[in-house]
Amino acid sequence: MYETIGIWVAAMFTLAIYSFLYKENPLYRLGEHLAVGISTGYFIVLTYTQVLKPRLIDPVFQESQWILLFPAVLGLLYVTRFFPKIAWLSRYPMAFIMGTSMGVGFPLSMKASVLRQLEATILPLYQPGMPWQDLAGNIVLVFGTLAALIYFFFSKPHKGLFFGTGSKIGVWVIMIGFGATFGFTVMGRISLLIGRVQFLLKDWLGVIH
Amino acid sequence: MKENIWGRMLNLDRRWIFLFIGVVCIVPFFVPFGLPVIPTRHVISIFDYIEELGPENAIFVSFDFDPGTDPENMPMAVAITRHAFARHIPVFFTANGPLAQGMLESGFAYITNPLSEGYFHVVSWSEWASYREMGITDRSELEAAWEADGHVLPDNAAGWVFEGRDFAKLGYLPYFSLVILGMTSSIAAQYPEDMNGNPLVEMPMLQEHKNLREVDLATTFSGTAACTWWITFGREKIGLPVAFGVTAVSATDYTIFIQSGQIVGQMGGLRGAAEYEVLLQQRGYFDKPDRAFVGMDVQNAAHLLILFFIVLGNIAYFAGGFHKKGVLLKGRR
Repeated sequence: MYETIGIWVAAMFTLAIYSFLYKENPLYRLGEHLAVGISTGYFIVLTYTQVLKPRLIDPVFQESQWILLFPAVLGLLYVTRFFPKIAWLSRYPMAFIMGTSMGVGFPLSMKASVLRQLEATILPLYQPGMPWQDLAGNIVLVFGTLAALIYFFFSKPHKGLFFGTGSKIGVWVIMIGFGATFGFTVMGRISLLIGRVQFLLKDWLGVIH
Repeated sequence: MKENIWGRMLNLDRRWIFLFIGVVCIVPFFVPFGLPVIPTRHVISIFDYIEELGPENAIFVSFDFDPGTDPENMPMAVAITRHAFARHIPVFFTANGPLAQGMLESGFAYITNPLSEGYFHVVSWSEWASYREMGITDRSELEAAWEADGHVLPDNAAGWVFEGRDFAKLGYLPYFSLVILGMTSSIAAQYPEDMNGNPLVEMPMLQEHKNLREVDLATTFSGTAACTWWITFGREKIGLPVAFGVTAVSATDYTIFIQSGQIVGQMGGLRGAAEYEVLLQQRGYFDKPDRAFVGMDVQNAAHLLILFFIVLGNIAYFAGGFHKKGVLLKGRR
């Protein structure tokens, strides 16, 4: 019974959201606002039941773990943003979070996203026994990266064999990259539509299995 | 200015295109083309990696997406989970946000729903408490003892899954990147209880895999940069093998991690999920593929239509001489 009601509500709001494709209308607005409001409500309830209650309220009031009041008070200082005279207090939890995140994340992020990528680009173009596809891939990778970098080098005019031709090749490499991204984007958006159509035809109308 | 046919084509009301796309996304559900889906090496590498694992190993399946990317990410997460369950590999389920936890619940409900084909029948933590008291926690011994007591697997079920032995739903915690970092030392310190309130430290799968160093693979399904947290705090810190399931939009952003050897493999969009479903069918785990594969016919039809419109638009642009004028009708450039 409740599941059926849920499916009908979901179907109605799916249609309401898609009605925007014709033109903006109150039903679309209602669906949009409800999605934002319900998501926020869900977020608050879940944060209370899964984080605040078991990790702060219960330990403090049932197990007397008073030490937890320190991070709780630090977190509450965020609320001072709403009171201009003491808003400066909110900088302390922000400073704590930013400092911790930088300290913990920066070395590992550098390693994961910069150093490893550099390492992956520094590779021998050819090794004995290497399949031709890998060789072609390595050549494209190395020269494509160089050409794209030349395009973004603005201290010299893009003229001559090195800077002129290099930047032209760089534009092509970048455009091919954009093309691949656009193709994937189309696929992604169509996938989302397919998911909704599957829901409407299968779960709501029951005309496909 | 009077519009000629080329001008009218270029200024076609976009709602006609929406209508065509809508029709094309419905028809193939009733008239399937049956075009083949051929698995690519980046998906096969994830599949083969999981094929090497068994009940003595453990993996993480992290639902790091929200309803906005459900049609793409959900089939991937479902396919990996079904594969792991079929091989009796213990699975820790996590989520990087409150809405992601809803996705976790939804995906798990689909896999364990008797109405789903090849579903897995859940035995809850409390249902097999007496077996734990008798010291039966080994996977094969537990299933044998369970069935010896008269429990019969339903005909349409693919197998049993015992809570705490085969899976643990850990759920969401805030600042999930730091939670990953914390789990490199201790999973139970981050999650003293699972989503159902069961104590994690008593679970056999946790006793055998106390932290991420004792876990064999983390799979993350995401439409955002959240998947890179597993690389940063798992792969780079302790060498945890990681596999991605990402939305098609972000697939090219994360391909670099394949090239650098930082991930085992990557599933990109609905196509990646369909490939995994095909592999599950080809290797004999399930009789037929699941939802993603069904959607691929629609995907192909829609792509053909979009290609048609792109070609048509270009023909109109050049045939109408707009490349010379530099200006489209109605002020469009």
